[in-house]
Amino acid sequence: MAERDTTDPCPLPLRTAYTAQESLVVEDDAGNAEAARITTILEGMLVAKGLLAKGEADQEIEKIETPGLHLGARLVARAWVDPDFRNRLLADGKLAAAELGMKVGEAQLVVVENTPDVHNLIVCTLCSCYPRSILGQPPSWYISKTYRSRAVREPRTVLHEFGLDIPEAVRVRVHDSNADMRYLVLPMPPAETVGRHEIDLAGLVSRDMLIGTAVLQR
Amino acid sequence: MRGYHDIGGSLSGPIPRTELPWLDWEKRVEAIRNLLGDSTRRVISLDEMRRGFESFGPEKYRKLSFYRRRLEAMIDILEEKGVLTRAELAAAVENSVQEPGET
Amino acid sequence: MPLFHAGERIRVLDLGKAGHVRIPAYVRGHVGTVVQFCGVFLNPEDLAIGNAGGRVVGCYRVEFLQTDLWTDYSEYPDDTLVTEIYEHWMEPAHG
Repeated sequence: MAERDTTDPCPLPLRTAYTAQESLVVEDDAGNAEAARITTILEGMLVAKGLLAKGEADQEIEKIETPGLHLGARLVARAWVDPDFRNRLLADGKLAAAELGMKVGEAQLVVVENTPDVHNLIVCTLCSCYPRSILGQPPSWYISKTYRSRAVREPRTVLHEFGLDIPEAVRVRVHDSNADMRYLVLPMPPAETVGRHEIDLAGLVSRDMLIGTAVLQR
Repeated sequence: MRGYHDIGGSLSGPIPRTELPWLDWEKRVEAIRNLLGDSTRRVISLDEMRRGFESFGPEKYRKLSFYRRRLEAMIDILEEKGVLTRAELAAAVENSVQEPGET
Repeated sequence: MPLFHAGERIRVLDLGKAGHVRIPAYVRGHVGTVVQFCGVFLNPEDLAIGNAGGRVVGCYRVEFLQTDLWTDYSEYPDDTLVTEIYEHWMEPAHG
């Protein structure tokens, strides 16, 4: 069992090593089949008890499948070409997203800007909070226990593992999304945005850039 | 007083990079939770579901996959609220297996 | 009227609460700087046990130096961590 670090006012256990399998448990075929069976039966029971309408879950599935990278990329591209929109996005992400017809379902979307001085990284140590209403499902690594645990304590090492080395002159700012806010990183734009179409610029944005584990090659 | 889910800074080890597919049952679990938590029902809030998987014990938390944790937490909360029992659910699952013609 | 303001130094309390709390263990007892007031929310500690009729509580983003949070974080003294803290877990920190 890990020993306690007693020099800290809130003693934390020294670290426990996890394997990749422990960090992200993957169901085998039997596990998936069992879970699918239980879920189907559960849905049926909830319909029988009047808590769900028949077919309602299917409709909700369509809804949750809709958001994705394309929405986040649009927000970023607009911010890159329009400085006033960028300011509004940084001030109130939910309101700014609504201008583009995007409904943020979470309490608030906080957009944090990468600059030549600051690099941002997003994590949820307690579970897996992520701006799902805009970006859809988080990557598997984001919900893994080792990412959740290590991103707050050794962000530069984690970023190095993602192929990103942040220079010493740039400070790393980690955001632990533990409560009601959801976060999106506004990556630094390409060297030249003048005259470029927003759609092309949106095409440069990757999901990992919006979490902070990648940057645009400039 | 530290929950077993409260792992900021306490683990080491590799970050797995394989992208897992998002399966239909997993989407269905999320969809059902969203619906049960909406303003017309308020049967399971996000906070209650979280409390669910923070209470079913470190072993289950360690062994179950991400969406299985949510499914199990939902079932626990539904039982807690008297909506159904695990026994009832298990019986229904068993009946469904014995009747392979049903969808 | 939020109790704390941007730029203020606060300490995160350790309330020793059982059950569902959203304050990670690694920040408890530490001093940070308020970044912004996020608004008032129903307390997740109440919501988790099905009580949606409780008081709302203020929530703040608070920024900590990584070198304060972790005894083995020394090489990059300007690196920080920001997380959300509920008002009842905060007290003013002086000095």
